[in-house]
Amino acid sequence: MTTTDQAVALVGKSPLYAELYELLNEKGYRVLSLGEALKTPEEVQLAVEVNSLDLKEKEEQLQALDRLLPPHVPIVTTSLAITATEAASWTLHPERICGFGTLAPLAERQLIEIAPALQTEEATIRKAESFFQSLGKESELVEDEVGLVFPRILTLIINEAAFALMEKAATPHDIDVAMKKGTNYPYGPLEWADRIGLDEIYAISRGLHRDLAEERYRTAPLLRKLVLAKRYGVRSGQGFYSYEQKKGREA
Amino acid sequence: MNTKTVGVIGAGTMGAGIALVCARKGHEVKLLDANQAVLEKANGYLQSTLSRDVEKGKISEEQKQQTLGQVDFVSDMERLASCDIVIEAVPERLDLKKTIFSELSRICRCDALLLTNTSSISITEIAGGLPHPERILGFHFFNPAPVMPLVEVIQGKKSSEENMQTAYRFAEELGKVPVRVTDTPGFIVNRIARPYYNEALRIHGDHVADVAKIDRIMKLAGGFKMGPFELQDMIGIDINFATTQSVYNDFFQEGRFKPSRIQQRMVQAGSLGRKTGEGFYDYN
Repeated sequence: MTTTDQAVALVGKSPLYAELYELLNEKGYRVLSLGEALKTPEEVQLAVEVNSLDLKEKEEQLQALDRLLPPHVPIVTTSLAITATEAASWTLHPERICGFGTLAPLAERQLIEIAPALQTEEATIRKAESFFQSLGKESELVEDEVGLVFPRILTLIINEAAFALMEKAATPHDIDVAMKKGTNYPYGPLEWADRIGLDEIYAISRGLHRDLAEERYRTAPLLRKLVLAKRYGVRSGQGFYSYEQKKGREA
Repeated sequence: MNTKTVGVIGAGTMGAGIALVCARKGHEVKLLDANQAVLEKANGYLQSTLSRDVEKGKISEEQKQQTLGQVDFVSDMERLASCDIVIEAVPERLDLKKTIFSELSRICRCDALLLTNTSSISITEIAGGLPHPERILGFHFFNPAPVMPLVEVIQGKKSSEENMQTAYRFAEELGKVPVRVTDTPGFIVNRIARPYYNEALRIHGDHVADVAKIDRIMKLAGGFKMGPFELQDMIGIDINFATTQSVYNDFFQEGRFKPSRIQQRMVQAGSLGRKTGEGFYDYN
């Protein structure tokens, strides 16, 4: 447990927001919203930005942080739907921007990936590493590409499961059971997506398709439609599965 | 549970494993192979596996003898005439499987269930042109069959719903976890697992991260038991590449399944994983 009253600015709408908010508090950080950080920018040690679905908002919030915080303060940003290099290109101080990537729920992540932008300077990378270490997570440095490693591979697995479901090759239950019992996956891909947030998975899939421009990364139409209908998974009560009934029982 | 007479065709690793699964549940098994040496090897496998069960105290010597007594080793397909269910587990060659199912259609009762343990060949194509295609279904075990719980029960274009239900119940009676899937390339597991290997290969090829780093990330960040490269080395890189090629071609070269050139070069070089002492990692 870190004993610190260091302040971290946390902004964004990814499902990671709530997870990070809780973890930062638990580790003794003071978590500031964008508005709070605006009032006392000199207190902010590091900023975390976690938008994935709405890239316009991501750009605006990164630029706000960049304008607000002194240039030596590192800003770590999720490079799930876009490269860290592109995110850094939006700012006046790209050398303090560093990408990272992970998926909710954070309690299940022993390791978080860090992807420096081409513009990121060495000192920023070191600060990002020690920040994630202070959260009790190991880290690995990877090159900057949309979705990094784990989120990218898992997104493609979930996307393929969504194609199979759309084609009615099997039921959601049978797809999940097959992947757990036939090849030892920790979760079935569809229940896993519901726990991560379909919006996050869709943002990664769309980002890969946009940046790498290959058929390989085409988003399953069913996944896209579920996100448009705001069926994000467990946290919205409905995703590939429905959780409404369960909630009712608990209540 | 009523015991059945079950024919198993092909006494290799898969066939012998399936025969063991059936015999342990009290079914009469006729294990067929044209090659006597293969049958003897299968017999040795059953003996040693059941002896180990006795040593571990899982079963008595008497139960072992009883289970062994359930298995009849045969080399003539006519002997399968009395079977209620036949499970074919020969190598993955369409011509071979078509010949066998054509023979079975002639030999077996028309209400006998004819199952193929294929991981990559279309059930519809195997059954195509044969009489009573409604009783021909896919029944895909995972290796090793006595250990892995999953069975994919695959419905070909002409497989009947009633027979699907019978095959599903039979899998449950064998103590397995069945899932239903339509006759689509790779069925469920071999299709949806493709990106685990293929995208890892792509990330490696694009130098986003190296082999060891990708494996470490997938285990520590993702919670997978084995990384994609260790797993390929264990499965056999040639086997993994062949599965990808088969799914890719059966989807008419859909870009999502495009095989990896890196993987192809490993196969060409004979670096096939653990079995050759070297694959993505060195085992020497």
